[in-house]
Amino acid sequence: MIKRKYDKAVFYLFSLFFILLIGFPFFWQVSNSFKLEREIFNIKWLPTVFTMDNYVGAFSRQPLLEFLTNSLFIAGMATILALTLGSMTAYAVARTEIRGKKILLLVILSVSLMPPIVIISPIYNIMRAGHLLNSYWGLIIVNTLFCLTTAVWFLSSYFQTIPMELEDAASIDGASPFQCFALIILPIVAPGIFTVGILAFIQAWNEYLFALVMNPIRIKTVTVGLKMYEADNYIPWGPLMAASVVIVVPLIFVVLLLQKRIVGGLMSGGLKE
Amino acid sequence: MTRKQMGYLFITPTILIFAILAVYPVMETIGLSFFKSRLQYGNVKMFVGLGNFGRLFTTARFYISLRFTILFTVLTVSIEVGLGLLFAQFMNMDYKGKSFLRVIVLIPWAIPTIVSGFIWRFMVNDQYGILNYILLSLGVIDNFIPWLSQPVTASAVLLFADIWKTTPYVSLLVLAGLQNIQKSQLEAAAIDGAGSFQRYFHVVFPALKPVLATATLFRLIQSFKVYTIIVALTNGGPANSTESLTLYTLRTYFDAGNYGYGAALATVTFIISILIALMFLKVIQNKISI
Repeated sequence: MIKRKYDKAVFYLFSLFFILLIGFPFFWQVSNSFKLEREIFNIKWLPTVFTMDNYVGAFSRQPLLEFLTNSLFIAGMATILALTLGSMTAYAVARTEIRGKKILLLVILSVSLMPPIVIISPIYNIMRAGHLLNSYWGLIIVNTLFCLTTAVWFLSSYFQTIPMELEDAASIDGASPFQCFALIILPIVAPGIFTVGILAFIQAWNEYLFALVMNPIRIKTVTVGLKMYEADNYIPWGPLMAASVVIVVPLIFVVLLLQKRIVGGLMSGGLKE
Repeated sequence: MTRKQMGYLFITPTILIFAILAVYPVMETIGLSFFKSRLQYGNVKMFVGLGNFGRLFTTARFYISLRFTILFTVLTVSIEVGLGLLFAQFMNMDYKGKSFLRVIVLIPWAIPTIVSGFIWRFMVNDQYGILNYILLSLGVIDNFIPWLSQPVTASAVLLFADIWKTTPYVSLLVLAGLQNIQKSQLEAAAIDGAGSFQRYFHVVFPALKPVLATATLFRLIQSFKVYTIIVALTNGGPANSTESLTLYTLRTYFDAGNYGYGAALATVTFIISILIALMFLKVIQNKISI
């Protein structure tokens, strides 16, 4: 009994420490986004006067709304493309007798492990030749490449869990291979595809390196846009904190809403040895 | 169309994307590392053999960035995995509120690195940062510490920011491993008279090994490409002391317009990550087994 009480105390002490550690930076970010400049510099725990000026500043100093719509479109399209191509590839690898599966998987794994700096200069040249710098599609294509690695990993293990008899029975009943894929397998793995979609979207939304190199002038994403607030060694902290709240709140909302799926997805991804 | 034919059809777009945007660029980078090629030369390239690599290994800035990147990688990953093991033990305890812990773990993982970087930069600001304010009011320090203007403290802040962002995620992976250990295994060990400490080292730890190996491999590789957090916090400063290999390479390419030398840097980065991956051959073999 005593040991159990002791355990419980340890658990709650740890939880408190953990929550404070993770939560404090966000508390500080939100608190300062509502402060007047003089209260930011004088360090007050909470704003004594609530102001929305920083939020106005966040949208007027930089085209934050445009950054947001750019990121939404780029990450959204990359997610859709990666899920489409990813489920096709995962199906082929997990459920058909094609040759060269291992090599394909090895290449995909290598790309997800490889430092992106290795390929950035040739990709830049390819995109310049295709007039895709400072455009939507250049970044969509590059993000699709990286999200596709994630999608193939997660989806091929989902696809493998479905018993083969299901498709065999359907083909005896006269279903074509494509019908088997689209009408039998896809609906079964739909929840998995949805989870992978969230992971891919977050990955593309947060991408910084390629967004900076490929779209430095037009069609900036939120991550690149945030850096734009910093000018000539001066950082307008109030508007910057406000802008980062605007960027982070939708993400946190999505994460809280879909937490069960994300936790499950991440945990199973770690277990696929 | 047979299922097999459809399989080939299905992988064709993926193969094309990977061939054009990954395999060809890697070859191109490695090839270019043997040439002298600069922005001001236009399209003219001069074959110099291993010349770029020779220059690299006699350049102090390369060694500084290599040392920083390796130290950063080794320190962050060992601390993250160590803390992850510890935190996962707590998260595995069965009390009210345990699912809440699993949710807030996701938040540092989900937000963009550039955002968390800026929040930390604000908190460690020398004059109006909360960190100096707290340390000063507790009497730990007498004067403001200019965290980001000194090489050692700047590196420490970078390490801390990375550990803060990633440890929760590593804990979640370890937790998945812990939950995968059969209760029966633990019970059997308990019946055999193993104490909780022994149980940990003889039953839990070996069972966690595959998960730990996977997490370590992915974290090592990720940490080795460190870039964004540096851009948000120090921009490589003071005096290039926190410049990672990726940042140095990027500046060589796009600020200095020195493509051949940049390609040599990228090639060295590539080779080191292959070496890291080779240390975990078993993980990779398991990953591609289908």
